[in-house]
Amino acid sequence: MRLQVEASVRRSADFQLSVSIDTEAQVLAVVGPSGCGKSTLLDVLAGVLPGRVVLDGTDLTDVPLHRRRVGWVTQDSLLFPHLDVRANLAYSPRAEGLEEVAAALDLTALLDRRPRNLSGGERRRVALARALVSRPDVLLLDEPFAGLDAQRRRAALSLIHTVRRRFAVPVVLVSHLADEVVGLADQAVRLEQGRVVATGPAASVLRAGETHIDNHLEGDVMGPGEVAFHGTTLRLSLPEGMSGRVRLAIYAHDILIARSMPESLSARNALPTSVVDLTPAGGFVLVSLALAGLVVTLTPEAVAELELAPGVEVLALLKATSIDCLGPA
Amino acid sequence: MTAVWQSLGVAFVATLLALAPAVLTSWILTRTRWRGRSVLHGLTLLPLVMPPVVTGYLLLLVFSPKGALGRALESLGMPVAFHWLGAVVAAAVVGFPLLVMLVSVALRSVDTRLEQMSQALGLSPLQTFWRVTLPLAWPGVAAGAVLAFARALGEFGATIVLAGHVVGETETIPLAVHAALYAPGAEGRVIALSGASVLLGLGAVLAYHALMQRHRRRLELEP
Repeated sequence: MRLQVEASVRRSADFQLSVSIDTEAQVLAVVGPSGCGKSTLLDVLAGVLPGRVVLDGTDLTDVPLHRRRVGWVTQDSLLFPHLDVRANLAYSPRAEGLEEVAAALDLTALLDRRPRNLSGGERRRVALARALVSRPDVLLLDEPFAGLDAQRRRAALSLIHTVRRRFAVPVVLVSHLADEVVGLADQAVRLEQGRVVATGPAASVLRAGETHIDNHLEGDVMGPGEVAFHGTTLRLSLPEGMSGRVRLAIYAHDILIARSMPESLSARNALPTSVVDLTPAGGFVLVSLALAGLVVTLTPEAVAELELAPGVEVLALLKATSIDCLGPA
Repeated sequence: MTAVWQSLGVAFVATLLALAPAVLTSWILTRTRWRGRSVLHGLTLLPLVMPPVVTGYLLLLVFSPKGALGRALESLGMPVAFHWLGAVVAAAVVGFPLLVMLVSVALRSVDTRLEQMSQALGLSPLQTFWRVTLPLAWPGVAAGAVLAFARALGEFGATIVLAGHVVGETETIPLAVHAALYAPGAEGRVIALSGASVLLGLGAVLAYHALMQRHRRRLELEP
């Protein structure tokens, strides 16, 4: 699908969603910290809030909610409390394939229950099934797997895959869980404080912010708190009695970069090296260093200020307390 | 005791008559946003804040047999002024603001997100009203109707102006009590009618509570 969205929605005195997105994706992930406007963006797509929405060339901006054909799954499920599960699933006049979807989502035994007698996870599955049954042109999923156990999450994931293939229905997925996004999405948008801060292939948008990039290193213990490491000495706190070759780890965002030796420095380690490569990833830049292939995440502003480029000589600053000793190698 | 039956009949028909317009007005007031909305709200509340006698007088002007509407209704065999229907109209109009207020509470307690979900699933706003809003709100609407009914039982000021005091036709409980107060030796009648009023009021309040509880359970506001 090609999805174009332009929205400027003030939700409160101190929050405004202000986005302009143009993306081509089968599954678009919307990621970001809570309160960044993910659900508000979904409300715009659903037609609950105003905004310009163009889906595959069809302008939906003035199409009212009930003619948009969106499969909308909200965080709070929004099941109709006065109807049993079967009636909830069959609610849409477009409903089709109820039994099949119910079976696939393990809901067959729940069909005669009222929503009040369902657990949170069961409600979510019913909400997802209701949206799938309504034969939507686009599925809007707001944290659809939160609260599901691993097995059901996998079942729901594979069902979404199946539905997407069978009905060629594109998906917009809001999630804070990196694994479900990586498993489903091909493109991603990162929101922060109501603004788009990154957009592109899901893997690149997700890497820097969602998952902590961990540098795994090895070195030889030389003495108390000292490890020989690629021709230099690392100072860190070692567990008692550690000797020989050890495995170490440091997060990419725990490493600082300097162009010259700072005059007074709290970091115990300042390792001379050079920049090998710079890769923009989401709102960050991944900086690869020559020394042991260390990876550092920096903001684009920091990269510009330091005038980093491949080949530039730098110092990698590592606080002793940021380096974890994982044990003997 | 004919006054009790008279009152019950008048109040029942008045509430029934006012219910549909009250639901429509409440829906407009709780679900739409437009410039003249506060004016509509004010007009709706007017009978609540005006002296009922004045409301009765204004209704008399509208429904007088000398006026066009009054004459038309009379030729259709439905005379209003100084007839049974007059008592109904008076009770309906004076009770209308209370009914709108109570129905609005019931409608407002239905999550508008549920209505949006209904529309996202393909139902128009009107279909959504019938299939989500009203089914979820009806115990609250019924509770409002019961209170408005109880209020209509006691309508006096507008009734006596528009419908007059016609024994066996427009003589409801309050009119009968009022008349008995000034009649010699009618204290027993006053006490009996007052007792009936207390019992009816008590029944209405209990029914209101039962229905509101059901309303909240339906909306899953309590277990």
